[in-house]
Formats: sequence, structure tokens, C-alpha cells
Amino acid sequence: MEALLVDFLERLADQFLNPQKRVFVGYLASALVLALAVQMLVGGTALLGSLARLFSRKIWWSRSARADYRIAVLNQAVMMGVVPRLVSKLAVATLLFEAMHIWFDGRPLLWPDAPGWAVAALFTLVLFLLDDGTKYLLHRWLHSWPLLWCFHKVHHTAETLSPFTVYRTHPVEGVLFALRSIFVQASALAAFFFFLGDRVELVTVYGANAILFAFNAAGSNLRHSHVRISYGRILERVLISPAQHQIHHSDDPRHHNRNFGTVLALWDWLGGSLCLAERGQRIRFGGPATTGPAHSLKTIYLEPFRDACSLLAGLLRLRPATVLRRPSSLRKRRDAQDAAGFPVGTE
Amino acid sequence: MTRTFTAGLAAAVLLLSGTAFADDMVYAGFPVTVKGYDGKKTTSVSYTGQIARHALHDSLKKLAGSGNGAENAELKARMTAYFEGKDEGRAILAPTTKGEFVIAQTAVDEISKGKNLAGKTFKAAVAGMPNGMTGAELVSLWIDKASMASKGFDAENGYDYPQLISKFIMGAVFYNQAVDGYLDEYLGPDKKPNDKPYKKGAAYTGKEHAWDEAFGYFGTPAHTMMLKPKDVYNIAKRRDEGFAAADRNKDGMVDLKTEMAFGPAYYAAGFDASVYDKGNSTSYLHTITKAFLDGRKLLAAANGEKLSDAQRAELKGHAAVIADNWEKVLAEAVFKYAGSVYKDMVKLKTIVEANGDPAKQFRKYVKHWGELKGFALALQSGKNNLGETATRLNRLMGIGPVLLDGNQVGDIDTKGNYLQSEATDWGEYMLHMAKIQKLLIDRFGVKARNNDVTGEMEALSATLGDKASAEND
Repeated sequence: MEALLVDFLERLADQFLNPQKRVFVGYLASALVLALAVQMLVGGTALLGSLARLFSRKIWWSRSARADYRIAVLNQAVMMGVVPRLVSKLAVATLLFEAMHIWFDGRPLLWPDAPGWAVAALFTLVLFLLDDGTKYLLHRWLHSWPLLWCFHKVHHTAETLSPFTVYRTHPVEGVLFALRSIFVQASALAAFFFFLGDRVELVTVYGANAILFAFNAAGSNLRHSHVRISYGRILERVLISPAQHQIHHSDDPRHHNRNFGTVLALWDWLGGSLCLAERGQRIRFGGPATTGPAHSLKTIYLEPFRDACSLLAGLLRLRPATVLRRPSSLRKRRDAQDAAGFPVGTE
Repeated sequence: MTRTFTAGLAAAVLLLSGTAFADDMVYAGFPVTVKGYDGKKTTSVSYTGQIARHALHDSLKKLAGSGNGAENAELKARMTAYFEGKDEGRAILAPTTKGEFVIAQTAVDEISKGKNLAGKTFKAAVAGMPNGMTGAELVSLWIDKASMASKGFDAENGYDYPQLISKFIMGAVFYNQAVDGYLDEYLGPDKKPNDKPYKKGAAYTGKEHAWDEAFGYFGTPAHTMMLKPKDVYNIAKRRDEGFAAADRNKDGMVDLKTEMAFGPAYYAAGFDASVYDKGNSTSYLHTITKAFLDGRKLLAAANGEKLSDAQRAELKGHAAVIADNWEKVLAEAVFKYAGSVYKDMVKLKTIVEANGDPAKQFRKYVKHWGELKGFALALQSGKNNLGETATRLNRLMGIGPVLLDGNQVGDIDTKGNYLQSEATDWGEYMLHMAKIQKLLIDRFGVKARNNDVTGEMEALSATLGDKASAEND
């Protein structure tokens, strides 16, 4: 029991000390510096005023934020129990690697003269693209498939955003993201290792994927914050800015089902779900209706199951239309959005 | 004056204690404990017969690689003389002096007379080969084939006889004799007791000599505990830098009887050196040697008295350490060569698909396959019945490698002719090598894992991090 507790505390601490994690202290610090710079240089606010706004008790100690903290801790315990029971990425990679010997009747090594750095750079880039692309896809499904939305809406009930809102996730969704990660990493591992051999390695900075390190060091934590930073109309077609992700959290029906991307906006652009940041945009976060209090743990953890059961019950009563259509709240938003003449992919 | 005397005394004490410490680490000089011994020997340590067999083995391997591709009765007779014969006059063909690495003996008789290998070869049927051949019958078949092959290489069937013969003997003679004989049944209460000489007039007791013989089969320098694995590796390779490490008595020559490293110790040292200072480091060489040394100290301390049950139990504990680690060394060797064969197959496919000449690579492939098969059979010649592991191992590698024309030796007829048939697919056979490695990890817990097929992927996988937390975007 004591060992379990130590393990749990170590894993919690790891979230802050491991550069592979979003809330690594270095990334939080860089986000703070960036936020201060924007507030002071662009907003013209003095240092103390900026700090006061950034660390406002209304944001960091709101009911929504306090729920985020509780969820982060509880989920850590839940995932500690669940993740080891999932299939490991190495097992999947090995299976794929072995199957490829049969598919190709041997192992043709490609690009034998390629320098090591080129192989490493290619692997890092492809892994990043696969990772980011499938995150987009899963995120989109979480919004568009009613059964998945039951669980994902937990994230959207956040009414104040802080870097810790990244942990405001139902465990079912956590498992889906973990499985996605396992299959993406395993596929990339198996394919690269099979064709390029042991020259394959990941380009890392402090142990983290170099591209994700750059993304996180460039203020990724501000996507879950009240600090609005836009990259401009051109760059926001390629990279998701904090302002664009804040649009994703908007309770305005015009903004619903927009900006599913994590790092790249390209996926949204290609998928017709891009929404660029608007000058002077004012956004209120949250929105999805809940039966119980939105920030109670009971609502957060149990209501998704109840909603999912209702949907499945509908399915068993052979009313596919009810189940396959998007949830009524989303449907209404989309209707309102369409009525407002908000075409996909425009600003 | 007083200060100088004190310093001198301290230096002398240090020197003496240093010598005592060094002697404590050497498998030599244990006193004669046989009651009533009236001979001239001053030490009871003796394992020259085993060293002679190492020399016979090394020489046989050299001969097996000396054919010219035509039938050669003389060569076959010479090989047979080193395998089965006991006649005097056999020269040591290997190991011989190489550059600055001067070896004291040049004839087998200078080590021990009247020794052969066949009489000590695995007596049961070899499960991994057809026709229920005993170990000696299998070596004889290979000797016959080697005498007709060009430098021991059979391109048509994919065999490298020097490798097959050598690696198999490392198990079927050295490993088998040590762990299934001297370290097993000889440790019973009545077999070769410690209160009687091994044979009439001998300077060693029954148990002392049995233990020494097992040590001799391991084939490591008596002062191994004073050396690093890399030193022992260099000694076996007869490298110049290995000479100083080997020549403990500084007489300018390496005495095969006490200072040389042979096959089993060479492989143990090789694996230890390959992962020295790494996370998966091993210490097969020193673990085995120390267990031999500790066991021998126990026997010396028994002072020629019959061993008590507690003493025998302790001795068996040391024997178990030796057997377990020796088995792991053989498993590491099978692992290593399964990886070599796999890598060769990757290269061969690349060459063939580019319409290149695969001959050179095919030669390496066949050599590595010979080492793989030889060691796999060696692994099965210990005292443990490996059961399902052995069956899987034998089925996965077959009795011959997959050839470039898509065939494979599938059987041997009663006259010793190879029978080829359609082989396992190339890609699937490669997979078999990966499965062999997995099997060895699961069954033996091999750690050094040279030429690991998927090891790099495992390491790469670890750099990608885990998903132990639920995050959202």
C-alpha cells in the first residue's frame, strides 16, 4: 500500500518534472513569460497588474478550476490501474514488425546510405504528423459521435481555463487517447524499424520529442487560459494558436465543432473545421448542459455513463435515428451556427 | 632508523598479504589431503586431461576447415585421430604460438597422454538431428562431410562443418561432462568419496579430482579472478595484449595447462565484455570461476575427510551456480547467432533484390547458422531436459538453413545423404530467428542479448514515453 502511494505521488510529481508532459514546470514558466509579455507589451498592462490578472483567484480557484485539480488527481489514480492493463505499444509494434516479414517475405532495408540524422529527423516528423493527425481525428469523433460526446463533454463543461484543464477528462476518453497513442506509436515504430533498421531514433530535447518540445515551450499551456494570443490569419491555417483553441471551448454556437487540432491547424483546414481567431473576440467558456452540477465529481464521472446508457437503450429499442444523430444540444448549436451563416473554414 | 624499519616492515606485510590475497584468487596450489599419500606431488590440483581435450577440440576444428572440396581419406583419418584416437604423437594444431603470444606446448602429449573426445561425447540421441544419432555419431558424420568439403564449407546444403563440430563439442563434451557428470552424480555421497584417493596412489581425493575435472572443462586460466573478462577474451584470441594477462608466472610462455582460455570460458568472457558497464551487464565468467574456487576451497578445508551432508549440500550449491550460468552462456550464444543469421538474411535479400553477388554474404550466413545450430545442440546436452523449449528450438531452426533457391535440408538418409525439400518462406524463417531469441529470453532470462533483433525497437519504444495520465486537447 505504501509502495502504491509512493508510486502515485511520484507519477503526480512526474507531470511537473518530465519534459514529456504538458505541465512540465519549464513549459509553465515559458507560458508565463509569454503571457506576461503579451499583457505588458501588447495590452500595455503593468507587471503587477498583469500578474494579478494572470493569477486571478476567479480563474485559478473557481469551482471549475477546483474540479480540474480534483479530476487530475483522481484520474492519475484511475489511469495507474487502467493503463498497465492495456495492450503495450511494444507488443503491438512487435506484432506488426513480425507480420511485415510475412507481408514482404523478408525485410528489405530501404535508404541504406541515408545519414543517421536524416533517418532520425524523418522518424520524428512522421511520428509527430501521425500523432497530431490522429489526435485531430479522435477529437473530431469525440464531438461528432453522440456516444463519445457523452464522455468528452466533461472537458467542455470547464468555465474557466487554466493549464490544468488539460486533465479535465473523463477516464473513458483518457483510455481512448491512450489506445490511440499506443497504436500510432506502435505503427510508426514497426514500420520505421522494419524498413530503416536500428538507425531509427527520436530527435529529442530533454527526453521529449523535439517538435512537441518546441510546441510546448512556445506556450502550449496558454491554449487553456484566458490569455488570448493569435498567430495571424496566415499562420493560423497551419498552427493552432491559443486563441483558436479558446474558440473551441466557446459556448457560442457559432464556434462549436471548430478547431479540433492540437498543434497543426492544417487538419482543420483540410477537414473543413477551421476557425481563425477574430480581432477583439470575446469568448465565454463552457456550455454543455448537464443534469447535475457541472463541477461535481458525481456529474463529471457518472453522468457520462448515464447518458451513454440512455443512448444505448435507444439503440436497443431500434431507434437508430436518436442514437446516430448528434446530441440535441450540439444539433441545436450546429443549426444556430448554420443559421448565423458561419461557413466552415472561414474566420 | 626506527622509522625506516617500520616503513619497511609495513611494506613487507603489505606485499605478503597481497601475495596471499592473490593466491586466494587462483585455482592452483591446493594441498594434498589424501591420507597416507606418499608420492612427490605437493598439490592435489590436476585437470590436464581436460586441457588436452580442449587442444584436441581446437585442433579438430582447424582440420575440419582444411579440406579442398574433394574426397580426402587422409584428412578424414587425421580428424578421426583427434576425435576418437588416443595415440601418441598428435601435434597441437590449435592453439599455437601467434606473434608475441608464445605457447609452451606443441604436442597434445605434453599436456596429457591417451586422451580422446569421442569417449566423452554426449551418449544419448541428439534430438535436434535426424536418425537418433548419438553425439559421437553426429560428430563422425560431420567429420566425414568436412573431409570432402572445401575449407569445411558445404555451399550446396548450407553447412559449415568446423563451426558445427566445434560448437556442438563445447556442449556435448565440455558442458555435458562437467554439469551432467562431475558436478552432478559425482557429488553423491558414495561416488568418488573425499576420504579416498580418486584412484590408487593419486595425490587427490575422489571429490577433489571430480571438481578439478569440471573446472578443466570450463577452460579458463587458473588466475581468472585476477583478470577482467576482456583479458580472458584477448587470451583466447591470442592477442598480443592478452599475453601479459595470460603469462602469470612471467616465464615468457603461456602454459596451456594453467594460463590459457578455451571455448566455454571464451564465450562467457565475451558476453561479459560485450555488456561491460551497461545496464544489462553480466558476470558469467567470474560467477562460474568463483563458484569453482569456493567449491575447491571447501574441499581443501575438508582435509581428506569424508564430506558431511552439509558440506555436500554447500558444494552442490556451488555446482548449481556453475551449471545455471554455464547454461546461460550457451543460451546467450544461441541468442547471438540467431541474431547474426537474421541480419545475414536481411543483407542477403537486399543483395539478391539488387541483382548483386550474394556468395560472400551467403558464406557468412552459413557460418553463423553453423554456430547457431552447434550451440543449440550444445545447450540441449546438459543435465536438464529442456522439453518443449528444445522441441521449439529445433523446429524453428530446422536441420539446415533456408537456401537461396528456396530449399532446405529436411532429412538425412541412413547412408548420411542429405535430402532437400521446399523450405520455409524466407521471411518466415527470419521470423523464426526472432522467435528463437524470444524463447531464450523467456526460458533462460538471457541478459547480454548480443545481436538482439528487436532490442533496438524496445529501446526506441522506451524513448517515446508512456500514456499513464489522462490528458485532453
